[in-house]
Amino acid sequence: MGATHTQVKIENFSMTKGLTTTLMVMIGIGVFSMGWTWMVDDEAHTRFWTNFLHNASFVTGISFTALFFLCVCITAWAGWVSLFKRMWEAMAQFLLPAFVLMGLLALVVYFGLGHNTLYHWADAKSVETDKILNGKSPFLNKNWYLFATLIIVGTWYFFARKMRSLSIDEDANGTMEFKHHHKMRVWAPAFLPIAGFSSAAIIWQWIMSLDAHWYSTMFAWYSGASWFVSMICTTILVLLYLKSRGYYSQVSDEHIHDLGKFLFAFSIFWTYLWFSQFMLIWYANVGEETGYFLIRMQEYPVLFWANLAINFILPFFVLMRNSTKRKIGSLTFAAVMVLFGHWLDFFLMIKPGALHTAHELAHHGDGHGAHAEGAHAFMTGFHLPGFLEIGTFIGFMGLFLLVFFMALAKAPLTPKNDPYIQESLHHHV
Amino acid sequence: MSSPVSAIRPPLITGNKSYHDITEDLVVGTERTPSATWVIGFIIAVSLLGFGVFCIIWTIWHGIGTWNLNRTIGWGWDITNFVWWVGIGHAGTLISAILLLFRQKWRTGVNRAAEAMTIFAVMCAGLFPLIHMGRIWMAMFIFPYVNTRGPLWPNFNSPLLWDVFAISTYFTVSLLFWYTGLVPDFATVRDRAKGFRRKIYSFLSFGWTGSAKHWQRWESLSLILAGIATPLVLSVHTIVSFDFATSVIPGWHTTIFPPYFVAGAIFSGFAMVQTLMIITRKIMKLEDYITIEHIESMNKVIVATGMIVGVAYLTELFISWYSGYVYEQFAFFNRALGPYYWSYFGMMFCNVISPLFFFSKKLRRNIAFTFFMSILINIGMWFERFVIIATTLARDYLPSSWSFYVPTWVEIGIYLGTFGLFFTCYLIFVRVAPVVAIAEIKSILKSSGDQYAGGKTPPKREKIAPKVKAVASTGELITDDLKKIEGIGPKVEQALNAAGISTFSQLAEAKVDALQSILDNAEGNFRGNSPESWAAQAAIADKGDWDALKKLQDDLDGGRY
Repeated sequence: MGATHTQVKIENFSMTKGLTTTLMVMIGIGVFSMGWTWMVDDEAHTRFWTNFLHNASFVTGISFTALFFLCVCITAWAGWVSLFKRMWEAMAQFLLPAFVLMGLLALVVYFGLGHNTLYHWADAKSVETDKILNGKSPFLNKNWYLFATLIIVGTWYFFARKMRSLSIDEDANGTMEFKHHHKMRVWAPAFLPIAGFSSAAIIWQWIMSLDAHWYSTMFAWYSGASWFVSMICTTILVLLYLKSRGYYSQVSDEHIHDLGKFLFAFSIFWTYLWFSQFMLIWYANVGEETGYFLIRMQEYPVLFWANLAINFILPFFVLMRNSTKRKIGSLTFAAVMVLFGHWLDFFLMIKPGALHTAHELAHHGDGHGAHAEGAHAFMTGFHLPGFLEIGTFIGFMGLFLLVFFMALAKAPLTPKNDPYIQESLHHHV
Repeated sequence: MSSPVSAIRPPLITGNKSYHDITEDLVVGTERTPSATWVIGFIIAVSLLGFGVFCIIWTIWHGIGTWNLNRTIGWGWDITNFVWWVGIGHAGTLISAILLLFRQKWRTGVNRAAEAMTIFAVMCAGLFPLIHMGRIWMAMFIFPYVNTRGPLWPNFNSPLLWDVFAISTYFTVSLLFWYTGLVPDFATVRDRAKGFRRKIYSFLSFGWTGSAKHWQRWESLSLILAGIATPLVLSVHTIVSFDFATSVIPGWHTTIFPPYFVAGAIFSGFAMVQTLMIITRKIMKLEDYITIEHIESMNKVIVATGMIVGVAYLTELFISWYSGYVYEQFAFFNRALGPYYWSYFGMMFCNVISPLFFFSKKLRRNIAFTFFMSILINIGMWFERFVIIATTLARDYLPSSWSFYVPTWVEIGIYLGTFGLFFTCYLIFVRVAPVVAIAEIKSILKSSGDQYAGGKTPPKREKIAPKVKAVASTGELITDDLKKIEGIGPKVEQALNAAGISTFSQLAEAKVDALQSILDNAEGNFRGNSPESWAAQAAIADKGDWDALKKLQDDLDGGRY
């Protein structure tokens, strides 16, 4: 037998000037795009705030699912991830800026800045006259929106800190009794049900309530899966970047292969949830539900079908073979496309409802539900993302990566006293 | 085999087993005569099965009116039981396919029995859609075949038809998966068998020789089947959920149904695996292979899926209010506070509240508590289906057609009959096949056996035999008739001789551990032989004090004190 024992390479990541500059330029592009959006926007700045919600919730979701997956791995005794699990710890640190970003948005909703065009239920006049909105008001109201956003994202950040500090303390004070790891095994499973319940509640508020009349029990899991796949894409891309810079030399093709499998499998899982939600609503054809898909199929056909093509057909065929999951080229291609695809997925979840609300509110005087002239006219930034949306996305990703890399640089890239480190070093698929 | 295993991982095989020990321990269940417990269990199971068959015949003879279904409640115990059994059938394939892809080593201890359970559960489930048709001779109408009914084809738009395909596919793939795993193990049984028995196992093992090529093909086939079976784990219960969710009945039409049904199925499947394995490991003495670690791992799956089901229940409940759709709201109001409130609270308690106890490590590792919980969850999951089906149907859109439903003795009898079918099959299975997959257990011995776990190098097995053979001054080998010792027969004597023990004096000096190890490593099954008294007997025999030996042997029981 004689298990081979390999020395773990302990190295620290350090930000290079080039990287900082690139990220700063990305953030600059984002700020510039958002500024421009604000200028060309309608009176209520619908495009600006939907872009803000879209991108802020997207990166929040990536950092949340990173924490979630880290806790899943610890709970499930997964050993292979040890070498690079610090990446997820660092991603989860973005939950602090996420707290600020989503908190800011919640404050905007709370104080009714602009004209509350983001959420139909935030308009007091509509709630008075609209029976459905009125019935939902115990849940869909400004107070609860602010409170739940702060409490839930705050709780997530607390767990992100906890996991991170235990992991870093393990480097210095880790023992062969694996005391730190045993503590992690208490915190990680405690987070899982909290994550399960809270993510559902917050997704209903942030995203599902944009289509305030509509409901779907699947919605929270569906968007959660979308976040999760985006997180796997981000992990693959950042890991490949770090490897290209000479870090993580002990992370082998085997680890990359397994991450590729996760991308493949969870793309299919996302499709499963997409199909289940769509098919059931289409099949039953209940008036209360079909509106959501009807509007997307009729007015957003490009996005509607591109969503499936990019997020299912592409990864399914590209990543089916073993070899494409191990080759940097094909895997990077799939990860970039799918990351963008899920960003589009969130775009499609958010924009139609918000645009509809904007139309409703802009023409409130004309009576409820009246469609304005030009409601169906094509609008860049709503029916399809324009350059400003792409620019905003680049900006938010820049911010996310900056926070991530800064957190990553604060501790060694590999937890040397993790109990599974030798397993991870000798990982074979 | 040199991949390191973290010291934090507990062993999955205990008792310092050698490869040979594993073969002995796991094949013996198919070789010995059935125990009294088995016979009693079998009689009960067959009696239940017989009663079930009687009730089915009664149903078919007298018509579906022998059940208490009515115009309002068209589905009752039949479909509840159907969904319940299909759900139970999910754990096996999850363990064999998904856990294989996730490289979970603990699956090896339980996969064989769980897969068998899957197959038997799906058989039980399959009964109900057939008999609930009433006119069972029309059953072939569900198949799309060239027929004389003109352009009349099965309704391909119906999820009930999708169910037929989903479940028959699932059954086929599960069966293939199960059998593939059994082939090398049947070959092991064959190699130890004689006569007719050998011929049967020879046939069953498809001429397996254990060559490298056979293993290679076997492994590729297992992976391919795992790949096929993984989507099936999701698809089967997804389509069962479509039976309800595609309708426009409040409480049935909800988009979360597909993944929530799958999670619930895994939840109930693992509960049933626990129920069976806790009994099986105890009766068949498999504690070294189905360890407390296995039980704890399964309890973790139970608490995880229980939480998923919990999120789904509360999501449904919340969204029914949130929807603002009065019928949806009423459906849930009726479930919780209507005439069947007890089934809703039973479901909530058994499936959401009680699994919370499994957050405690102590309770996860408590076998009696686990057994109790597994039963509770089985009940809870039955309630869940009853709530979804009967409770929801009982109060529909028209208050004038509201109804209440209790099953007749025929319906109860058929349900009991499925238990009979299930346990009859299971009890036969434990007699004809190794309950724990021998080949797969062997594959993890070097990484998860307790003598290796945590990267330990096991101590060399003690060389036990005396090095110098007893030789007389004439140069001849001295041999005593060791068969005079109680507990030693001709085969054991051969084994001892082969190990260099041929005289009473040598035997008198041998240690019990050493003798046991000779037995363990010898050809044949000597689990019934205990060497604990042999040295003492041999010491007396060496002195030639035959009376004293006789006196001692009178007190012994087969060589045991």
